[in-house]
Amino acid sequence: MTQAVAEAVPAASGLAKQPVLEARSLSKRYGDQEALSELELRVHPGEIYCLLGPNGAGKTTTINLFLGFIEPTSGTALVAGLDVTTHGIETKTHLAYIPEQVMLYRNLTGLENLEYFTALAGKRLGSDELRSILGQAGLQADAADRRVSGYSKGMRQKVGIAIAIAKEAGALLLDEPTSGLDPKASNEFSTLLDGLRDRGVAVLMATHDLFRAKETGTRVGIMRQGRLSTEMSTAEIGHADLERIYLEHMHDA
Amino acid sequence: MITRIARKEFSDLLRDGRFRIGAVVVGLLLFVSLGAGWVHVRDARAQLEAAQATARDHWDSQGEKNPHSAAHYGIYAFKPRLALSFVDQGVDPWTGTSVWLEAHRQNDFLMRPAQDATTAQRFGTLTAAGVLQHLVPLMIILLAFGALASEREQGTLRQLLATGVSRRELTAGKALGIAAALGLLVVPAAVLGSAALVLGSNAAGSFLARGVVLAIVYIAYFGAFVGLSLAVSARAPSARTALVALLGIWVLNGLVAPRIAVDLSARLHPAPTAFEFARTIEEEMATGVDGIEPPDREAITNALLEEHGVDRVEDLPVNLSGITLQASEVFGDKIYDRNYGALWDTFERQSRVHETLALAAPLLAVRALSMGLAGTDVEQHRHFASAAETYRRDLVRSMNEDLAQNSRTGETYFADEELWESVPPLEYEAPSLAWILGNRTLSLIVLGLWAVGAAIAAVRGARRTEVAG
Repeated sequence: MTQAVAEAVPAASGLAKQPVLEARSLSKRYGDQEALSELELRVHPGEIYCLLGPNGAGKTTTINLFLGFIEPTSGTALVAGLDVTTHGIETKTHLAYIPEQVMLYRNLTGLENLEYFTALAGKRLGSDELRSILGQAGLQADAADRRVSGYSKGMRQKVGIAIAIAKEAGALLLDEPTSGLDPKASNEFSTLLDGLRDRGVAVLMATHDLFRAKETGTRVGIMRQGRLSTEMSTAEIGHADLERIYLEHMHDA
Repeated sequence: MITRIARKEFSDLLRDGRFRIGAVVVGLLLFVSLGAGWVHVRDARAQLEAAQATARDHWDSQGEKNPHSAAHYGIYAFKPRLALSFVDQGVDPWTGTSVWLEAHRQNDFLMRPAQDATTAQRFGTLTAAGVLQHLVPLMIILLAFGALASEREQGTLRQLLATGVSRRELTAGKALGIAAALGLLVVPAAVLGSAALVLGSNAAGSFLARGVVLAIVYIAYFGAFVGLSLAVSARAPSARTALVALLGIWVLNGLVAPRIAVDLSARLHPAPTAFEFARTIEEEMATGVDGIEPPDREAITNALLEEHGVDRVEDLPVNLSGITLQASEVFGDKIYDRNYGALWDTFERQSRVHETLALAAPLLAVRALSMGLAGTDVEQHRHFASAAETYRRDLVRSMNEDLAQNSRTGETYFADEELWESVPPLEYEAPSLAWILGNRTLSLIVLGLWAVGAAIAAVRGARRTEVAG
């Protein structure tokens, strides 16, 4: 099944390029427990791939493997064609990461936080450029110079997006980035993702939000107990279909 | 990259209220202790100069008397306060700084503030060395315990590492940032200390090198604590655990290890009590020991009579008392050399035990080096004590010789200030830097091991710090 999908997708999206994110029979075991088994996954430039599934299905494990924060038990995670295990630092230049809660340094302002994370990513941007990026990410101009200890979750997520934009990475890893956001903030977030997709960024997003996945995602994959049980293109299904398929996969197997 | 991380750490720390309060408290204590130390040393020096002049004056103006009586009258010698002793009083409060030099006896040092102090006061003296050895490490722990653990707990560590920064750079940057924040507190104190050193002493030049080495020693010590704190912070499951573990290390290093060192060194190399020591000397003086025999007055007399070809002591061209007194002096000196030599050796072996235990607690190495460079350790006390003893022997001998050469046996003879003034003052030259460092090679090596080991531990810890959770 996975092979068929891998062949079908580039043709469908019209992107015949090499995938930016690729998992080849990627597995991770903790003792007896199989956190992830034999994952086959490809995310191409301009795609938003949404990983659905309950907690413990292996979504975060997948993201951790791409970030090199854990080592695979077997198989390979590739970023821009490079093995994450052997090219840990190099692969990160192609990655941006936004966690469920973007954590920032409370004592620094939003601008200073952006400046710091961008500098660590090896980019030197002027203050004006950084402000404009914060603006693109939707942060109000007057918030940039306030310490982030007073920021709301939505504002912090925007700084997180700004960090990702400033890095100009080819791939974006998102771990439930909209959970806890109000619908308006969540919608703004999706708009930003669309913008990034249009620039050719490959996005891998773990989420519980079926609606958002259908709306924003180009493809969805449903995970259960460490396995990717099905994969589909969002263009081919409706909202109701997705929910039905999701629930089906939670019940059987 | 490293400097960028360091800069952020630095500004982050400066905006942290806890750091500001801590810095003010520790900084204040450091300045006060340096100031108090400096005033204390300045006053002690003034007192010492006055006392030295008075002692000399008493010696010169003791009037006409028998030279041997003059030797009994004696003179006080004072251990000079070296320029750096304001940083570290070392063993001075316990060993004393002045000694009475007189015929027949090698006296113990006097002016021991510890003698009059209660046990509680031992911990109460605020010295710059105390602040540097105990409070600054505490400050480092408070600055660094969360360096990696808090970032991991708060989730910023994942984001940091996702930027592509290497763990090694991150650790180095953190260390540098903490060092810079610490520098804000310590560097002004060091500058002030150097200024005090230059202003407070006419021979400051020779002490600047010592000051520089002392600074390096403390930097290495602080570096070891920074590395250790980062290593623990990287490996501890939470910031709270890191803090508790580090405070445990701080207590072991600062309170438990010194206590163990004292007990263990006393057990391994027991020193006699003052009472036992005095009694042994008394006994050996009475009977002689191990081939050191009390002078045989009769044999000396007969040898002299024969040498000069006379039958009666009154006919000798020399005063027999001068000769026999000197002979018994030489005998006494041998007994003293034997006992004091063994005692000093015991103290030095004890201090070697302290230095070795520094493998478990870097404080012990720093303390040994700090006292050494300040000129207040046991070895330099011995160095001065030997110089004072040599001076005493020369003085007593010159008195006895004057008596022997310038009078005849049985004659009443008085010398005057011409003789007293002919005795040169005690010119004591403190040991060189090379001598001190030669004495403290073990501590230098152990401290170096700590600094390097802590740096390696920090980098290794960061490499293995868990970010997946």
